Amino acid sequence: MLYLWERPEVFQFLSVLLLCSGILGLIYRRTLLGMLISVELIMNGAGLNLVVANRFFQTAGVDGQVFTLFVMGVAASEVAIALGIVLLLFKRTKKIEAEGLKELKG
Amino acid sequence: MSLGEVIFVVICLVVALGALGAVLSNSLIYAVFFLLLTMGGIGGLYIYLKTPFLAMMQILIYLGAVGVLLIFAVMLAGPFWRRPKERGPFLKGVAGLGVSLLSFILFWRVLRHHPWEVGPQGEVSTSRIGRAILDRYPFAFELISLLIVASILGAIMLGVLSRQGPPKAEED
Repeated sequence: MLYLWERPEVFQFLSVLLLCSGILGLIYRRTLLGMLISVELIMNGAGLNLVVANRFFQTAGVDGQVFTLFVMGVAASEVAIALGIVLLLFKRTKKIEAEGLKELKG
Repeated sequence: MSLGEVIFVVICLVVALGALGAVLSNSLIYAVFFLLLTMGGIGGLYIYLKTPFLAMMQILIYLGAVGVLLIFAVMLAGPFWRRPKERGPFLKGVAGLGVSLLSFILFWRVLRHHPWEVGPQGEVSTSRIGRAILDRYPFAFELISLLIVASILGAIMLGVLSRQGPPKAEED
């Protein structure tokens, strides 16, 4: 009898749930910050999935964990730059909704 | 059911409910707090996956850096008790139904109809992770550091731009 944390399906279900709730949030939210939160959920799901694949299906190396670290670095820099853009747009337009932002070109 | 299993089930519930709350809650600041809950729960899952280094990194980077940044942004971008406009109930229902169908199909097809072979579970030490980064992926590692430097410079540039005020409208 395996413990619950020795079965990969549990973790994979959680990462699918994170991915799909992130996609739902991207459709559902109308604010830029809400969309950013959903993207963070998707990235967390991806990292969890990589670690699970490394732990259960490819146990010889540590590549999945290394890539999860890369995902974390990309997520951190992405959040920094996106929040700068969001705050700049809020100062200019006084709105936090994503609609009506028509002056992003050039 | 042992104590470890009870804690594991609680962590799984925290992750799932936190993800749903981060998407479905009305106020943005509540969404950020639910997101922090989910990220902490994933740190706990990393401990159960026997990768304590990643759990530490998860808490440091996501809870520490990303979470604080998001809270600052929500508080700076307007009063947080002001509810943003939401989509109508019909579109919400259609989106929820579509995404749950997609997740069900994904889970069923990929995880059930594919013969996943569970390999032997070895011990993973942090020194192996460091060696893999520097031996096998040095280029990606350097690119990540370059990306972070570029994003810091970009954030500074955006801050300077926002201090200057809105530009004058261009003449057509």
